[in-house]
Amino acid sequence: MAADDNLLRSPSAKVRYLGSARWGASENWYMRLTSAALIPLTVAFVWVMLSLLSKDYNGVRAELGRPLPAIIVMLFVLVGIYHMQIGMRSVILDYVHGHAKEWLLVANLFFSGALALACVYAVLRIGFV
Amino acid sequence: MASTNAPPSPASLRPLSPHLSVYRFTVTMTMSILHRVTGCGLYLGALLLAWFLIATSMDAAAFGVVSSFLTSIVGRFILFGFSWALFHHGLGGVRHMIWDAGFGLETPEREWLAWATLIGGFALTILVWSIGYAVR
Repeated sequence: MAADDNLLRSPSAKVRYLGSARWGASENWYMRLTSAALIPLTVAFVWVMLSLLSKDYNGVRAELGRPLPAIIVMLFVLVGIYHMQIGMRSVILDYVHGHAKEWLLVANLFFSGALALACVYAVLRIGFV
Repeated sequence: MASTNAPPSPASLRPLSPHLSVYRFTVTMTMSILHRVTGCGLYLGALLLAWFLIATSMDAAAFGVVSSFLTSIVGRFILFGFSWALFHHGLGGVRHMIWDAGFGLETPEREWLAWATLIGGFALTILVWSIGYAVR
């Protein structure tokens, strides 16, 4: 992450102590990186969800068990949850102060991590169990 | 409010910084707020996707519960809101990318982009729901 931080700061900005001292710039960069990835992923995800509408339980399982829909859903979930974790982090940093801020930042990480793992586990289970 | 016959204190004569109650709503400001609101909505909406995926991975009974909720009136309303938030936030992100690239920052362009985000978000939602009802 530190390497990406350097990517967005010029050498003279570093010498003059301008900009983020830690990972602020890489957070900004990852927000843009994930949002660019999410444009095609959202289109593909909506496509997969639309293809499920006419199907019953077995049909939905069979469709989500195919490699391409499964990979699309898992990529959308992983990139989307990483994106929303950064977004909620900046919302918390903007509006919450004191100890509540620290608790919420930890809760945000736990929630996002657990949700991402649960979704990926569920898709893998649909495909392999 | 202090009593009216008290002399104005030096503090009260200072110019006030713009306060929330005197802000005129502009379309760019409204889209900025909506971008954050839809982002937070999608954060909660991710729970719905997780519920759907986990239930589908379990058994027909669990799938039946989530399926009947999502096809109910309340469920459809929530899904409609989720899909609108997804498209609105997505187009808002594209708008931010255009700005990041250094374009569309002048007055007519940024106003136009804000309206395009709003109208495009609803248009995409209605388009996808039309397709959904057609292929269902």
